[in-house]
Amino acid sequence: MFVYEKRLQYPVKIKNTNPKLASLIISQYGGPDGELGASLRYLSQRYSMPYPELKGLLTDIGVEELGHLEMIGAIVHQLTRDLTEEQIRTAGFDAYFVDHTAGVYPTAASGSPWNAAGMAVKGDLIADLTEDLAAEQKARVTYDNILRLSDDPDVNDVIKFLRAREIVHFQRFGEGLRLAKDKLGEKNIYYMNPSFDKGKVEK
Amino acid sequence: MENVKPSCCGTLEGSLPGQCASLVFPYVPMQCQGSERFEPKDGLAVGTLFPGLRLPFFREMQTKMGCDDTALCELMALSFAITELGLYLDTHKDDKEALELYRQYVAMAKDGRQRYEKANGPLRQTAAGSTGTWNWLDNPWPWENEGGRR
Repeated sequence: MFVYEKRLQYPVKIKNTNPKLASLIISQYGGPDGELGASLRYLSQRYSMPYPELKGLLTDIGVEELGHLEMIGAIVHQLTRDLTEEQIRTAGFDAYFVDHTAGVYPTAASGSPWNAAGMAVKGDLIADLTEDLAAEQKARVTYDNILRLSDDPDVNDVIKFLRAREIVHFQRFGEGLRLAKDKLGEKNIYYMNPSFDKGKVEK
Repeated sequence: MENVKPSCCGTLEGSLPGQCASLVFPYVPMQCQGSERFEPKDGLAVGTLFPGLRLPFFREMQTKMGCDDTALCELMALSFAITELGLYLDTHKDDKEALELYRQYVAMAKDGRQRYEKANGPLRQTAAGSTGTWNWLDNPWPWENEGGRR
């Protein structure tokens, strides 16, 4: 069950309209390494996790990512809500505008709509948590690249917060892997799939 | 720098603590208990409660967090500290000091939430209606300006 709280995790207060920047930042809404994919990845991987620490970690990070999705949506909305007739023609936003007007749609900056092929659920805790480490790094790099491309301090203030969260999540997923390895207690950690074979395989 | 042999790990040597992590397994060390911490508001400003996890990008400009001393910002800072400590506790469930701090922040956030809601309206739907009107619908919604009420 989820309960909505009518606030953002971190304030988003953007003064200047900038449709071009919105058309780049939308990638963290619906792109391959964006927040929608992040939350769905973690919230879906939970079910095959054998240990309570991992069920908790994936639930809690998955929920936080939903909050980040809302923040990215707020950035895109605030960058485009006061678009002028001139800006929709000339500001590099026309292709997005023709399909979505000033709505917020989950798409990559390159134009592909959000796609579950950008995430994975393998049903094996080592494979899934290793994917999660990579996912956090890819999101971190996307935020790096946004910081390269954006000169708007109101936007960058929020982006640097979101970037910092990717690094924290990386650390926690790494710790999750360590805890899992200790619990497995196997010399050969690939002897079985601990998400599927635990309790079924004779030692 | 000459003659420094890269450290390496052999067959079944990987059982930290020690020199070696396992072969063919990614290695991130556990963060120590009792790690240095920021205050909630400073943590919110930089995106982590832990100075050890703060690794900014070179293109980050000095920005001022769009948050001042409003009830909303106070609540955001406490809620952030709760989120951060909650994740930490997921992988450090035996850290009694962190657990204690978590409980403290939750108690403080409960007060902060009530103060905020009294002045600005409901954060959760179940807090709506105390005025005799369905004020859950009142603008602004979080994406419309600073993440909550003006």
